[in-house]
Amino acid sequence: MWAIRGRVLPMAEHPAVPVTRSGAFAGVVWIGDDGRVAHVTTARHAVPQGFEQVDVVDVGTDLVLPGLVDLHNHLAYDTLPLWTEPTRTTPWEHHDAWPRAASYAASTTWPAYALITACPDELLAFVETKALIGGTTTIQGSPPMNRPRDGWLVRNVEDETFGTRDAGLVYASTLTAKPPVLADRANRMRAGSAFVYHCAEGRRGSLVAREFRDAEQAGCLQERFVAVHANAVDPSVFAGWSGSPGAVAWSPFSNLWLYGETTAVPEVLAQGVAVCLGSDWAPSGTKHVLGEVKVARLVADHLGWTLSDEDLVRMVTSSPGDVLRRSWQRQVGRLQPGALADVLVLSARRGANPYRAVVRATEADVQLVVVDGVPRYGTPELMQTAGARSTTSLTVAGQPRQLSLQHPDDDSAWAWSDVVDRLEEVRADPKGEIEQAQGRLAAFAGRLDADDAPLRLALDMPTGVGPVGGLPKDLADVVVPPVQSLEHDAEWLDAVSGRGFHDGVLDGLRAFYGGHR
Amino acid sequence: MTTTARTRPTAVGAAQRGRPLSAFDRADLGRLDGGQRLQVLDTLRTVLAGAYAHLPAKRAAYAVDPVHELELLRRRATELTDTEFHLAVSGVVTRLRDAHTRYVGPVSLRGAVAALPFLVEQHGRYDEPTFVVTKVSDDVGDAAFEPGVRVEWWSGVPMARAVEVHADRETGGRPDARRARALESLTFRALDYGPPPDEHWVDVGYRSRRGAAKEVRVPWRVLLPGKAATAVAAGSRAVTRQAADPAAEAVRRAKKLLFAPGLWAADQAVPRPAGGDDLATPLQDVLSARALSRDLGYLRIWSFDVDDDDAFVDEVARLVGLLPQGGLVVDLRGNPGGLVWAAERVLQLFTDGPVLPTRFQLVASPLTRAMAASPFNRLELQAWQPSLDDAVSTGEQYAQPLPLTDPAWCNDRGRGYPGPAVAVVDANTYSSGDLFAAGWVDNDCGPLVCVGRATGAGGANVWTGAQLRDALAGTDEQLDPLPAGVGFTVAIRRAVRSGRSDGVPIEDLGVGGIPYDMTRDDVLRGNRDLLAFCADVLARQPGGG
Repeated sequence: MWAIRGRVLPMAEHPAVPVTRSGAFAGVVWIGDDGRVAHVTTARHAVPQGFEQVDVVDVGTDLVLPGLVDLHNHLAYDTLPLWTEPTRTTPWEHHDAWPRAASYAASTTWPAYALITACPDELLAFVETKALIGGTTTIQGSPPMNRPRDGWLVRNVEDETFGTRDAGLVYASTLTAKPPVLADRANRMRAGSAFVYHCAEGRRGSLVAREFRDAEQAGCLQERFVAVHANAVDPSVFAGWSGSPGAVAWSPFSNLWLYGETTAVPEVLAQGVAVCLGSDWAPSGTKHVLGEVKVARLVADHLGWTLSDEDLVRMVTSSPGDVLRRSWQRQVGRLQPGALADVLVLSARRGANPYRAVVRATEADVQLVVVDGVPRYGTPELMQTAGARSTTSLTVAGQPRQLSLQHPDDDSAWAWSDVVDRLEEVRADPKGEIEQAQGRLAAFAGRLDADDAPLRLALDMPTGVGPVGGLPKDLADVVVPPVQSLEHDAEWLDAVSGRGFHDGVLDGLRAFYGGHR
Repeated sequence: MTTTARTRPTAVGAAQRGRPLSAFDRADLGRLDGGQRLQVLDTLRTVLAGAYAHLPAKRAAYAVDPVHELELLRRRATELTDTEFHLAVSGVVTRLRDAHTRYVGPVSLRGAVAALPFLVEQHGRYDEPTFVVTKVSDDVGDAAFEPGVRVEWWSGVPMARAVEVHADRETGGRPDARRARALESLTFRALDYGPPPDEHWVDVGYRSRRGAAKEVRVPWRVLLPGKAATAVAAGSRAVTRQAADPAAEAVRRAKKLLFAPGLWAADQAVPRPAGGDDLATPLQDVLSARALSRDLGYLRIWSFDVDDDDAFVDEVARLVGLLPQGGLVVDLRGNPGGLVWAAERVLQLFTDGPVLPTRFQLVASPLTRAMAASPFNRLELQAWQPSLDDAVSTGEQYAQPLPLTDPAWCNDRGRGYPGPAVAVVDANTYSSGDLFAAGWVDNDCGPLVCVGRATGAGGANVWTGAQLRDALAGTDEQLDPLPAGVGFTVAIRRAVRSGRSDGVPIEDLGVGGIPYDMTRDDVLRGNRDLLAFCADVLARQPGGG
């Protein structure tokens, strides 16, 4: 048991949690040994019974809020740089168009395949750390894998079973599903599962808009349904979801980058459907949702939408948390008694508007990230005070940080440098590393879903146009680009300007990262 | 004889002698309890019913129902002895007459080949064959038993009858193909894919060169021929693009150990020194080449069992470039297949036109649909997925046929031999060998001479049980590992021809050509008549003679 004292922004909906006009108050979040929030009190409140002897980590005026939720990602690709097809001069029509681009497979599928095949553990360590650095504690879009990997670094939406090994809590599909599959998912949602489904991704009115109609006809428009993108949908169509509203996962960066337009967010919200942010994948997305929330701010302002900073913060905390609670039966995205103790500490000036502070926070402001009550990432001081185990050092946005990193299979300490070095080894010889990994897999004689089986990941995005078998004839033609930085740095901001189809809107991101040009 | 410093002659001799079959206790060859037997039967039933590419054709061609047979066997499996059980399972699978689809019993002789130290070949007409010894290892112990003697009796059974009887236990879609494999398996049997011989020795009745009736008793021995360094490696991408008879490949290696020990020993040496008139080549396990005359060249493709098809194609191009350019005999007799990419890409060296590769299709079933839909198989199988899904409503038995070899890769080198070329095949030319023969004909590379009625007729991409289990992991059709090392291979994607024979299957049909019957001089004197016949065929080609 332990506690964090600071300026608490609980995003709560619980009678035992204080309510203030600003949304925040000087308080304490009390964390139990079960990895859940036991109490959220004001700072002057008496110490709850049973917590008299616990260590209290005092973060001063820094904000203590729920860990952020990224409801749309594709982790397997999150080491890659932003991608554009060099010859393309007009926005893509829909999600079936850009995978046919000449440079797509070699830029995305092939390097991602090399990394998931040759160093799956290191890849996941890197991309989940990247999420943590942005304050993310729950993320959707982990690659399909051959064996359970419950609750490792960041909470993975599809893989999280809370120790039950019930793989049916959340279903997800990146690829378009046929009506019978959608109907099956509709019934599974009626039985309690959630379904995160990419649909109607494209320009308004393009032919993929029918995918949302198919989902509606199959009975998917339920409260446990998360429609990812749905930017091709005519806004009037969302009215059909108002009876049992679920959520739309909104990825404005990716939408603008590929299509030049985005989801009709005000119309979605008007139907009572929640909007949750997702940073999408690295080839057309931000580094994490702390970046994506800034894009949401830019886009909302650009389009004249009346979305407050509080609205945007809800999109990465309580809104996705509530949707997931419907299948998980556990709360994330809110700091309140019984909720999972996923906590984010952001530096903030005394008296600052808390929501505005969250929207404007950068990687340098992330002071501490707690998942399941365990300190996972933060400043050396806070990590030490919080009693973090197996810490390894890294530098983020020019500042020292520590990461609590263990090998997923045996919990032994794992140095961050080993993770990065291994990725670089694979980069140096993708062909040799792929072949060696395939040999190791072929040599394993047991069940591939057994705990001792080699970890095997799969890609979840379109593979693109390529030879039969999907890979180049000569694996030596697989080129893995340099592993991208963990933060929104100058190089990444430079790569945004003048590329994609955002018409300069995303250039505004520079203003949030003032240290860069 | 050629050896290398890395393999001393004494080591080669020991490898040639192997161990006597009598040294192996059959009781040690693996026991399965009742539950384990059901695991084997249930897995095979699932595989044959859901993944076996030729099931519809085999049911039609041979009036067999292996799925039902396995169901019946399940009812009495626990009552059988181990030997009876494995023979029963082997029988169900062998009756499919498909060398791709094999039951691998729980033998402790993995990788071993039972062998008699001599080779018997036949010549003459199909209905009146003569059997002669063509090669003898040096330790039979009977000086009169030498190449050229005629074999008349096999453990007291007339030789022709012995071959016929054994043919019934063999794979092979046509009677001539079964007989060709039976003749080979009288002296060589890959123990991965069948039981050891029942008898520990054979008594061979033969007619000596002087015409005397004689008999020699020859004990079986067990060899471990291994694989060449250039063969496909475990975990290679090439493993899912195999079209081969794995038993015949093991036998080919055993023959090489016994009758060409220098080359066998040199498998690890790169490049190997030239042997006789052959050109030196680092791919000596699968290629040999020599000039037949000032104008004609000869290229033997022993196998397509290579890991690197680029190296293979480049080496063939190099070798044919060194041979006389007036005409070329490309000999694939006995080629058991191997890497599909190698077989299909090498065709371009012999034609000016574009080469169309053979296409492959999965049988449409819930199992193959689940396999194609698995995220782990997207790169490998996604091209077949839409047509597998559509088959539910169209009633098609197969998915859309698609090439394993990208058409661009079949045409990335261009012609490498300017003169006319003739290919020679026989009933033991199998699988990727079949694909080569089909491609040779369908892409107008040249005439095809066929010893026997056609090629061996193995038209499929073959996977091991482990590969199929890997592909089904995480699906509702997931397979468990089988007990005691039991395994199987299965024809997973059926091959259909392209070009002028578009859509015609290869399985059980093979590829026919200009018929030719082997002569005594062929089997004993380096294919003398066959090569003369081919030279005559070449002379009639444009640019030949």
